[in-house]
Amino acid sequence: MAEKRFMVQIEFLEKYFGEDKDRVHVLKGISLDIPEGSLYTFLGPSGCGKTTTLRCVAGLERPEGGKISIDGRPVFASGERVYIPTNKRPIGMVFQSYAIWPHMTVFENVAYPLTIQRRPRRSKSEIRQKVEEVLKVVGLHGLEDRPAPKLSGGQQQRVAFARALVNEPKVMLLDEPLSNLDAKLREQMRFEIKALQRRVNITTIYVTHDQAEALAISDQIAVMHAGKLIEVGTAHQLYSRPKRKFTATFLGLTNLIEGKVVELGGDSRPGQMETKKGIFSFVPATGLTKGETAVLSIRPEHIQVHKQQPQGLENVVEGTVKEAVFMGDAYHCQIAVGDLLLRVHTHPFLSMSPGEKVYLHLDPQSCNGLPAEDVEGMDESMLGA
Amino acid sequence: MSRFFNSQILILIGCSLFVFYLAGVPLVMLLYGSVRSAPIGEPGATYTIQNYIKAYFDREFYLLFWNSLKFAVGNCIVSFLIGTYLAWISERTNTPFKKLFLVMALIPFIIPGILSTIAWILLLSPKIGLINLVVKGLLRLEAAPFNVYSMGGMIWAEAIHLYPLVFLLMSAAFRNMDTSLEEASLSAGSSTFVTFRRITLPLMRPAMFSVLLIMFVRGMEAFEVPALIGVPAKISVFTTKIFLAIHQFPSDFGLAGSYAVTLLAISTTGVLIYGRITRREERYATVTGKGYRPRVIDLGPWKYLTCASAFVIFALAVVFPVFILLWSSFIPYYGVPSAELVGKMTIANYTYIMNYPLALTAFKNSFYLSVGSATLVMLLTSVIAWITVKSKLPGRVFLDNVTFIPIAMPGIVLGVSLIWVYLTLPIPIYGTIWVLLLAYITKFMPYGIRAASASMIQINKELEEASLASGGTWFQTFWKVILPLLMPGFVAGWIYVSIISLRELSTSILLYSYNSTVLSIMAFDLWEGGQYTYVCALGVLMVLLLVAMAFVARKLGARIGIAE
Repeated sequence: MAEKRFMVQIEFLEKYFGEDKDRVHVLKGISLDIPEGSLYTFLGPSGCGKTTTLRCVAGLERPEGGKISIDGRPVFASGERVYIPTNKRPIGMVFQSYAIWPHMTVFENVAYPLTIQRRPRRSKSEIRQKVEEVLKVVGLHGLEDRPAPKLSGGQQQRVAFARALVNEPKVMLLDEPLSNLDAKLREQMRFEIKALQRRVNITTIYVTHDQAEALAISDQIAVMHAGKLIEVGTAHQLYSRPKRKFTATFLGLTNLIEGKVVELGGDSRPGQMETKKGIFSFVPATGLTKGETAVLSIRPEHIQVHKQQPQGLENVVEGTVKEAVFMGDAYHCQIAVGDLLLRVHTHPFLSMSPGEKVYLHLDPQSCNGLPAEDVEGMDESMLGA
Repeated sequence: MSRFFNSQILILIGCSLFVFYLAGVPLVMLLYGSVRSAPIGEPGATYTIQNYIKAYFDREFYLLFWNSLKFAVGNCIVSFLIGTYLAWISERTNTPFKKLFLVMALIPFIIPGILSTIAWILLLSPKIGLINLVVKGLLRLEAAPFNVYSMGGMIWAEAIHLYPLVFLLMSAAFRNMDTSLEEASLSAGSSTFVTFRRITLPLMRPAMFSVLLIMFVRGMEAFEVPALIGVPAKISVFTTKIFLAIHQFPSDFGLAGSYAVTLLAISTTGVLIYGRITRREERYATVTGKGYRPRVIDLGPWKYLTCASAFVIFALAVVFPVFILLWSSFIPYYGVPSAELVGKMTIANYTYIMNYPLALTAFKNSFYLSVGSATLVMLLTSVIAWITVKSKLPGRVFLDNVTFIPIAMPGIVLGVSLIWVYLTLPIPIYGTIWVLLLAYITKFMPYGIRAASASMIQINKELEEASLASGGTWFQTFWKVILPLLMPGFVAGWIYVSIISLRELSTSILLYSYNSTVLSIMAFDLWEGGQYTYVCALGVLMVLLLVAMAFVARKLGARIGIAE
């Protein structure tokens, strides 16, 4: 890719809710660039501002400050007093409740964006043809005359997609589109949405609080928390090389060990961190400095369990098995290292019983050193999830 | 951008201003007119408090006040007792046929107040009253046992017409009560009676008090019963006094105005207290969604008695009045049912009404006014409900309150105010059907907004946003998405407003002219002229028209909106 083109650009977005005393600062200077043709996910716990950001892009909320451009054209700019209303923005949107109009048939729902258009006014046959095309794409061909209330949840969602796509928008906005489906259907729809997005090749913004969903579907993920953008990256980057403590804890499970950076390392040499459990080799996140207090983050599946003390390995500690739960594809264990409790996932063949003494190897390549304080006012209970 | 902006802003501002005009201007003009020394339009008028002095320093004023109070409190108590009793047995006891009670309670709504009043005169008049004659014959009495031309008669005629409202409100209150609260008391060891006194009654108190207030205000505003029964019985209340002050020659507008302001102050106080008790949310309360399973009391053999008593009340409220109206409409001259008169039954009254010179005009006017005001009220209040429920526009709470102002305005007071408005303002509609249309829209706006808001609250915001995100303008969104989704509430409100428009009397009677006569006025005039049998024929036709309209509206609404 010679030059990346950005379809949606958000700069220093500021948004408040409520009035006077009850004013809440919900977006604190969000800036994002969303590449053309990508599936871009806003991920974060509820109340982090992800849906509000999406609604600002749609024009359903009016921000107090900042700038939003779609396809290079500003749709909102606080300085220049630009505000393009929702119905004039080149968007298609799928709502959390799908918002399928119950007084219309499938055809009428999907044709709506075309029938209300004044310029260019479309002929009946053109509308019919376009609706049929898009219904084929979402796999609802032949259901044109079905009244909306007679659709299943999955069908309603497909109608919502068809309606969002029929007028060939530049950006498709998806507001937690899977949260109203049951677990089985949700997994199936993930793949369908991804496939659909690739087929139509449309820039898509996807809002979710479900990290598994975000990992499965996204080209890029923007992790948000408390009205701020924490970190942007691919699923792989965010999971295996998070740069922030919040990302590491919010995406999947992790173990955190507090310590102090004694050696930063460089090139192929690992850094060294001093903790209460000894010195650990780790991979430092950018921006970490020597002497700084930090945390070491390691995922449960990257800790290897040895029954005998392994020789010639770094990052080995001794622990006692507190709990070992068989999950089918793995044992999920809690292993005490002194006063520290580590979560470890081991191979199902390696049977373990509580009280057993084991040796843990924390693979240095999977130990991420992260700044200890990265999000102000972070709620500890949110991190445990 | 500008196009979108303009059409939306224009509609919203237009509708809001119209509401302010409808609700605010009559109020201002009434207050203004009541402090002028001469009727508006006459030169040389000055500001004065003479009207109030004349009104308040008159002994008659206190008599009026006392009569109005007695009538309103009496109506309040009697209708409350009947309505609450029926609500209790239908919601909380195992009385047989209780499902039927709801249907029975709705029937009286369709009978216009003037007809029900006439029916009770025909039943309880000392000379010709059917019940009087029958009871007198059976018990071999010397004189008639009942006299409708008394305070007691007035209260009865009003209360038996209004109790269905109490029944509906109290049924809802009984239904929405969490019975586990009572069960908790029983399981704590208290008896059924103690539970009733310590738990049920305190829980019901706000609902009971608000219902009593509504009935009190309704009694204060009542016109039909005081005019048809009170005037011949020489029992004056505020509404009839205002009516007479304007209908005498020359009209005393100043006096009518000061009385109207007094009446307005009383009813406003009632409505304000009511508003404090029932919080804003509850004003729109439809279905709370919490389906409490009511604790049904087993009455044992007593249930046959409660069932019988319910049927007696139904007979009094519906069967007797309808029977006497039907009977009278088919006989050549008024008389008690007898073999002789049965043989003389005829449809001559109906042919007379059909050929009555004004009848066609009145039918047309009433029909147009009823359909027109119902449609305009619902369209207007749908937009207002969108502003107050869905938008975040500043001043929306104020607008909501302004829309509710007319509910505190008794019909006769609104009539007085509108006389002033259209004799003063250079809008030449006084004496035309248009002034009636504006009056009806003003008067019934609060009922419209109630129906529209209740439905509007239930429309998911995303359904509207999906239309905007599809490129729809505000107007397209309102017309193609919101209005169809609002249809159930729209139709319910439409039916109600069209029915109450068709039977409206107290405002129309001050504003009509020969060419803008409506059915209720025609009935009033025929009654005043002593043509009882014709009135009854007209009444039967009115009721048939009402039933037909409600039926058609239901059919149409089901087709346009979502199937319920």
